[in-house]
Amino acid sequence: MLKVLDTAELGTWVEAIIKAHDVIGIQARADKFDFGPLAKVQDLRLDYDVSLNAPKRFFLLPDEKLFTFKKDEAKSAQAAEPFVLFGVHPYDLIALRQLDKLFEMDNPDVHYLSRRAKAIVVAVDVQKPSAHVFAGCLGFEHVEDSYDILLTKIGNEYLADAATAAGEKLIALGKGFTKADDTHLAARKKIWDENKQALRRHELKPNKAQITAQLEKSYDHKIWKEKARLCFSCGSCNLVCPTCYCFDVADRLNWDLASGERVRTWDGCMLEDFATVAGPHNFRNQREARYRHRYYRKGKYVPDKIGEFSCVGCGRCIGACVTHIANPVEVYNAIMEA
Amino acid sequence: MDRPRVAIFDFACCEGCQLQLYNLEEGLLDVLGLIEPVEWREAISDQSDSYDIAVIEGSITRKEDEERLKDIRKRAKVMIALGACATIGGVNKLKNQFDFGEVRRTVYGKDAEAPHLDTARVKAVHEVVPVEVKIHGCPIDHFEFGTILKSVLAGKTPSIPNYPVCVECKKKGNICRYEYNEVCLGPITRAGCGAKCPTGGFWCFGCRGLLDNPNVDAAKEVMDIYGKTVDDLSGRLLLFNNQS
Repeated sequence: MLKVLDTAELGTWVEAIIKAHDVIGIQARADKFDFGPLAKVQDLRLDYDVSLNAPKRFFLLPDEKLFTFKKDEAKSAQAAEPFVLFGVHPYDLIALRQLDKLFEMDNPDVHYLSRRAKAIVVAVDVQKPSAHVFAGCLGFEHVEDSYDILLTKIGNEYLADAATAAGEKLIALGKGFTKADDTHLAARKKIWDENKQALRRHELKPNKAQITAQLEKSYDHKIWKEKARLCFSCGSCNLVCPTCYCFDVADRLNWDLASGERVRTWDGCMLEDFATVAGPHNFRNQREARYRHRYYRKGKYVPDKIGEFSCVGCGRCIGACVTHIANPVEVYNAIMEA
Repeated sequence: MDRPRVAIFDFACCEGCQLQLYNLEEGLLDVLGLIEPVEWREAISDQSDSYDIAVIEGSITRKEDEERLKDIRKRAKVMIALGACATIGGVNKLKNQFDFGEVRRTVYGKDAEAPHLDTARVKAVHEVVPVEVKIHGCPIDHFEFGTILKSVLAGKTPSIPNYPVCVECKKKGNICRYEYNEVCLGPITRAGCGAKCPTGGFWCFGCRGLLDNPNVDAAKEVMDIYGKTVDDLSGRLLLFNNQS
């Protein structure tokens, strides 16, 4: 369902959504933007460049109780609550789509999937490119599925594309929506084309397939050692990444030392002990091995699993790395020159 | 199972970590259900030479303290270092920067030469005797104390992070202090505090000590990106991580 809303009417519509739903919306935070509970419509900033934190944290929680246990008994943690996630950029939605695939595979992850199933996602096309975004190089500047509603700002109007029944219901909460026509679709296509050029603050030379193929023969490339020399193994690039999904699982005992809760927390392959197993043996105990692993995950291992390149070009890792070594564009360009 | 006998001893410190144990509040009753304190200066007047677990607070600054600590070690099955002074030497190690005679005169003035005021290089507990468990921080986090104590009593190896504070900042969704060109010790400092200082808008002081394998060279090398110098970094490191 395609509708159009005058930008002046957006506030009234969002207000109605806030009244009817819990809304996590994009808003200003210090000199940046971030997702958080949206208390009032005035805080919503659809003109943002990039959110400080990727939306994955609302589905794969940084710290999460999975279940509580007693000696012979376990009880699953409480079910997910529904909410509306308002203002997700296309590259971040593509990241969520990838996590959906990964968490549906093998043993479906009920904790992640139940939150996803209950969430209504309102995506928005990028209006202002961030400092490090390169999604345009990857074709991830726009998205054509996986949203409940996609909003695109076209002049003084928002084109609202509702792709699901839940999305249509949200639109029904608004007044002043009018019918869209082919000129709106053509205008959106033009914005997508423009964003493909605008969302490339770093220029990735190879295409996705070329990177995946080149990684086959880049295991001993000098770049891994060169870059890893300045790696803190701090995991910042992992944790800000919208497609990194590794976690650790631990038991927290109660004072009876018999009952407790099982929790999972974010983990990252850059951290020194990430690959430590019984023994103890650490099969990636060198910084360069860990550093290399991340680029193989994004460029080869995960693509081999789900058939899609697993770096979406949001550029958060570039900004988050204190020593400026985490730019995937630099790395993938360099291996092509081997 | 009999409750293990636990003795808490303080050496050179402010005794604030001992005080943190009271911040468990009603949780303290749970602790007392599992252990029997036999010496604990801030809580009970009893003293004992017979204990299973010795908890050492403070750093070791005099020869006689080393002897006392070795004696405690002989009696204890398990030794726990409590707080930054005990685990890494803490702020007391600042003293190691200076001439000890000058230090004594500065602190004690005309009494500086009194024999009981003799002083030596500050050491963390593990620099004198073997330590099984370190509970980091200045002060310690009382919840972490509980978690570690439960692990020890359950016969498990306590899980003490060997990843940096950045991990906890990112989990909290904090804005990195380096975004504001501040020298933060987070990337080389052991986590476990929940990134309290950066979450409060301050750089990390490094009170939990360095990681097992910190990339200090990288920290030095990138100072100029942020308009800082290696001296700026070293100055920050002195407070809790004086290596001398």
